[in-house]
Amino acid sequence: MKNSNKPLKWMRKNLLATIGDSLLTLVIVPLLLWASYSLLHWGIGIAKWHAVEENLRVLMVGTFPAELVPQVWIAAAIMSALVGITFGGLVVASVVFSTAATSLLALIALCATYSNESAITYFCGCLAVGVIAHSVSLKVPKVKKYAVLLWCVGFIGISALVAPAGWDRVGGLMMSVLFTLVASVLSVPLGVALAFGRRSKYAGVQVICTFYIEVMRSLPLILVVYCIWVVTPLLSPGYPGPDLVRGLLGFTLFFAAYVAEYVRSGLQSVPKGQIEAAQSLGMTPYYINRDVVLPQALRVVVPALVGNVLDIFNTVPLLFIIGITDFLRAGQMILVNPQSGGYTYEIYLFMFAVYLAIASVITFGARRLEARMAGDHR
Amino acid sequence: MTQMTIEIQAPAPRIDIKPRRRILYLAKQASIVLVAIALFAWLAYAIRSGLARNGINFDMGFLTQSANFDIGEGELLTLQGLRQFVSSDSNAQALFLGLLNTLKTSCLAIAAATVLGVFLGIARVSQNWLVRQLSFIFVEFVRNTPMLIQLVFWYFAVVLRMPALSDATLWLHSVLFSQQGFYFPGFEITQQPSFVGALALILVPVFLVKAWMVKSKWLTWAACATASLIVSIGSGLPLKLTLPEVSGFSVTGGYSLSPEIIALLLGLSIYTAAFLAEIVRGAINSIPKGQWEAAAALGLTRRATFRDVLIPQVARVVLPAFGNQYISLAKSTSLGIAIGFSDLFNVYGTVANQSGRSLEGMIVVMVSYLLVSWMISAAINTANKRLLKQGGVR
Repeated sequence: MKNSNKPLKWMRKNLLATIGDSLLTLVIVPLLLWASYSLLHWGIGIAKWHAVEENLRVLMVGTFPAELVPQVWIAAAIMSALVGITFGGLVVASVVFSTAATSLLALIALCATYSNESAITYFCGCLAVGVIAHSVSLKVPKVKKYAVLLWCVGFIGISALVAPAGWDRVGGLMMSVLFTLVASVLSVPLGVALAFGRRSKYAGVQVICTFYIEVMRSLPLILVVYCIWVVTPLLSPGYPGPDLVRGLLGFTLFFAAYVAEYVRSGLQSVPKGQIEAAQSLGMTPYYINRDVVLPQALRVVVPALVGNVLDIFNTVPLLFIIGITDFLRAGQMILVNPQSGGYTYEIYLFMFAVYLAIASVITFGARRLEARMAGDHR
Repeated sequence: MTQMTIEIQAPAPRIDIKPRRRILYLAKQASIVLVAIALFAWLAYAIRSGLARNGINFDMGFLTQSANFDIGEGELLTLQGLRQFVSSDSNAQALFLGLLNTLKTSCLAIAAATVLGVFLGIARVSQNWLVRQLSFIFVEFVRNTPMLIQLVFWYFAVVLRMPALSDATLWLHSVLFSQQGFYFPGFEITQQPSFVGALALILVPVFLVKAWMVKSKWLTWAACATASLIVSIGSGLPLKLTLPEVSGFSVTGGYSLSPEIIALLLGLSIYTAAFLAEIVRGAINSIPKGQWEAAAALGLTRRATFRDVLIPQVARVVLPAFGNQYISLAKSTSLGIAIGFSDLFNVYGTVANQSGRSLEGMIVVMVSYLLVSWMISAAINTANKRLLKQGGVR
């Protein structure tokens, strides 16, 4: 009896609390139904998804040579495994779930192989690798300890797989992801240095670091990237370096200023007693900072740094200014092509979905991390 | 914490090393400054010699040369008033027009984003489950996709997909959406405005603001506003309504917004609004639950609680965070180049292309962006101080 009343009670509280609320609900529900109906109708009936399918290679890898695409799939599998391992400590999934997910993926892959859809096969394969890596890192917690090392090794492996084609030909989503990874890693050491510099006891260092951070934070990223791109060939005559590296330099210099601010807030959160205790043990300032202050500060700012990765990923499309074909620009290039120019909404919807999926994974990870850290501190 | 007593040994007599330390410190300090200066000088020298290798001298003279290109967007502010930019104007004027466009877009987008953001933020804590979930989905979607894809989507997939001017409908004889832009009615200053009429008209908003600020005697001030409006109309209203009219392939009368600025405004304000909404939600949630209960105990309705208890506190908490978002919005106007909006960065690109002065122009543009960012930050700081003074710190 009580149970049957529950939905009614819930509705009264959440949908029909006051007259205004009820009216709002009455307006929204039909609108929502209509919107979802028309979206479904378009998505199933009218939209021509083959436009995405035919251009998938350009979207994913840009102008990367077709004969090297299998290597990209191996790189994607490595990436998937690394993400799976990293999430091992954050999301606890049961063995039953992992087995079910893996076998479902394998089933889809098998069906796709029969209908000759190699992309789906490989995609499911990559996902399965990720799920397996996740369950392995759950079962064997030791693996997580080597996460940083594994990332380094994995990244070298990915670079080795992709590099033969030449860095200038790396494009599409692959470029966006790799660029994000490298930029977010490189900006951390510089950011930490700037954060320490900002609270240095030498006024000169303080002023310079503060000036750098404040100026960088007041300028638009696109301007910084373009500026570095213009200036680098002047500084290294004869060898300007690939566009990608020049863009990377711009991103690193820009985001280091943001990292510095996050790290600074982390440094402030380390209790002063810690430093005094370390001093009383006779530690020198260098070792105090390296072994006492920094590890505690970094622990606090890890969620913010993960958020920073998301920021970088979401601003990679700005590289269009120096002529690099990232995921978004690949899509735009497809739309400029008269053959597929009519499929604007299909291509954009696909790109939105991919961006949203990747960003959601990062956001989810950051939130989990934050929650876990909050739990640890208690 | 329990108090602990520590026995401290008497310090051993020390040799005073303070002066030596001080000298060492100063020496280190000076050497750091010197190294920094040397590094900077080297950078400047390297860039200069790099330029020289390409046969270019560092020269700001291009600013006074004529631009030789047109800018259709916006109107140039000169000593003689507003006018259209022409290609014989100087590069400096072109950059200035770009800055004006950036400022105009920023102001409009900030206003729109604030309204939408506050609305969404309140919707995030609504009583209605549907409203709560919808705004949550919207905010998460907008925050988790790049700003640039939203911008190009608004431009290429929405604004440019509107009907052409010849097919567009003129709603209510006054509003028109088309590929060529958005047209709407407005007021125009008449040719020979009478002095009394103009003065009386200017006083109307002044009185209205006064009425809004002075809550106790608002009726008096509102009456003053009405009276001056009547005086203004009586002595020949200096304003005249203009309505857009379609004639063939062009529109006469009324005001218009170009498709580029519409897309940019939509993209910027929706993107920023999502971030503002999160800030507002966080601030509302940070208000202790006891305040809600206290308000409920006093018999205040939910709306009254919001208006009189929550908003005054939330406004204070939220303002600095809003300021950061405003700055990043102003910076993001530079993405206008992706859709061909003539903002500062876009105009700079054209100027650099035409004159070959990328580096010199870069310095001008950087300084302008720094000034814009610091202006917003100063404005927010002032507002924050005033707010804190008014209500006192909690």
